[in-house]
Amino acid sequence: MRKAEKGEDGSGDGGRAVETNGLRKEFGELVAVSGLDLSMPKGILYGMIGPNGSGKTTAIKMLVGRLRPTGGTARVLGEAVPIVERVADIGYMPQEMAIYTDLTVSENLQLFGSLYSMEPGEYSRREASLLSMVDLEGRRDSLVSQLSGGMKHRVSLACTMVHDPEVLFLDEPTVGVDPELRAGFWQHFADLKARGRTVIITTHYMDEAVRCDLVGMMRQGRMIAEGAPRRLMEDTSTSNLEDAFLEYSRRDAR
Amino acid sequence: MNPKRVLAVARKTLRSLKHDRRTAGFLVLMPLFMITIFGYTFGGSIEDVSVYVVNLDAGDANSSASEAVLDGLLAGDVLKIEGVYVPGAPGADHAALVGEAVSEVEAGDAWAAIVFWGNFTENVVQSVEDIGSVPTSGPGTVTIYIDASNTNIAQAITNEVRLTVQETVVSEYHVLPPIAVAEDRVYGEGAEFIDFFAPGVMGLAAMMVTFMLSIISFVHERTTGTLDRLLATPVTEGEIVAGYALALGLVGLVQSIVILVTAVALFQVQIVGSPLLVLLLIFVLGAGNQGLGFLLSSIAKNEFQAVQFMPLILFPSILLAGVFWPLEAVPELLRPVSYFVPLTYAVEGCRSVMIRGWGLEEVWLQVAVLVAFALAMLLLSTLSLRKRR
Repeated sequence: MRKAEKGEDGSGDGGRAVETNGLRKEFGELVAVSGLDLSMPKGILYGMIGPNGSGKTTAIKMLVGRLRPTGGTARVLGEAVPIVERVADIGYMPQEMAIYTDLTVSENLQLFGSLYSMEPGEYSRREASLLSMVDLEGRRDSLVSQLSGGMKHRVSLACTMVHDPEVLFLDEPTVGVDPELRAGFWQHFADLKARGRTVIITTHYMDEAVRCDLVGMMRQGRMIAEGAPRRLMEDTSTSNLEDAFLEYSRRDAR
Repeated sequence: MNPKRVLAVARKTLRSLKHDRRTAGFLVLMPLFMITIFGYTFGGSIEDVSVYVVNLDAGDANSSASEAVLDGLLAGDVLKIEGVYVPGAPGADHAALVGEAVSEVEAGDAWAAIVFWGNFTENVVQSVEDIGSVPTSGPGTVTIYIDASNTNIAQAITNEVRLTVQETVVSEYHVLPPIAVAEDRVYGEGAEFIDFFAPGVMGLAAMMVTFMLSIISFVHERTTGTLDRLLATPVTEGEIVAGYALALGLVGLVQSIVILVTAVALFQVQIVGSPLLVLLLIFVLGAGNQGLGFLLSSIAKNEFQAVQFMPLILFPSILLAGVFWPLEAVPELLRPVSYFVPLTYAVEGCRSVMIRGWGLEEVWLQVAVLVAFALAMLLLSTLSLRKRR
């Protein structure tokens, strides 16, 4: 792995959000993730980019405890995965919409709120601010099945944030989202970061990851480059992350 | 296990049903429909069976035994006598008359031809006179040429003729049969066929619906990714399974109440024992079938495949669990299988409570088997979820 020099990481605030060592996952013959080493400080926006099938989703699923690693170790908030102690400090937005379309917006949020043991009072205070955050105030009692695709995405994001987790894993949160809404999403992510949260986002729209503090480039289950977006582009003498990725892929293939 | 999270999962499941008006309506109407249809079709007795009568009896000076029996048959509701063949003149061809009547049966226009032979009255009178001494003649004979392709109808015809003959002997000839059989019901005083199968229909409805809802919901949870998302929260596999079991058990309960109320209101079905015990049996059955549906949902890749499991579960239950006929009517070879069908215990338990008025101390075995089934299913479901990681 070629690492570009890291810029603003290692802020030394005690403990890392995510740390992995030789993390590996095999499905029979297929090696989905092979020897992934990650070290993310808290409070950053981290973008994991790479084409479909590069192992991003598998890596995220291992980090949130939904897949058991075949090898290596992973720690989230200092706890070995699958995390039991601090699972409530983690938010996970799966790639599929993964919300209940036969429930209303509020009922979806309530379900996840109660699974995180939120008290009714605490929840109702939270609901109002969540709905305004994702711009769905008027849709509180609408059935999710009656919402547009973009709205469903926002409900899904709100479900991930309902318990105000410290670390958020968002798997392709912007796939199939129109450009305007996508810009809105990135604003949410920036807000979350501003509030001290760590946000890990996977995307195959590589250019949008330029807004991240740190970007990891995945190819065939491995990390081929990691660093601040600007440094990755400088290192490859390119003007965007997509070209930078192609350059790193070329170097990797050699 | 955190009860709040179990309740959260149960509430979510019930809320989905609430929003899906059509399904919710179906859940209430289906058992209503089932018990009404079954009640009216099976609850009624057989009536108006078409028959022909051939009366070759010459009678004697004072009376005709065949006319007396015929009057009795006409007075009853079971038979509808389409026509009576009588010889027009002395010396007419009796065999031809019988042949004509039988051809009606052969053509499918009647279920039976009832023939009173020529010396019917004579033989009856002689037999009555001979009582107590050595018989000097045969009995008066009625022959029924019967289409027994429908055994229920054939049986009804034979019974009706036998009964009428017996009554006629008593009323016309004042002869009582020397031996009488008396019945004194230990259980089931006034019970009819519907009392027997209403508990069966109740179990069947609850089983069908909980299984179907469970397998479809879980295939949905798996394919849409919600199950993954749930499991990334603090909720445990066991809590999810328990939440679903609670919700679907309640659905089964509501259905049973619909059936019970309908059966009592429309068909005067009796509930001698405790209705609560009946509902408990159904709830546990529902919870267990939810687990079974869950287990099979891991084999099904989509809703379409899931639906195909329905007959696999349904047919053995309908046929072997004693819903419409007793276990004793199940072939001996298959009967051991009946004891592996959970519905068998629910039906037996409910029936004993409703008709015999038994309490928990008598139906504990049925309750225990159902609880064991439910626990085993829920445990296996939980384990199968854990294994997926």
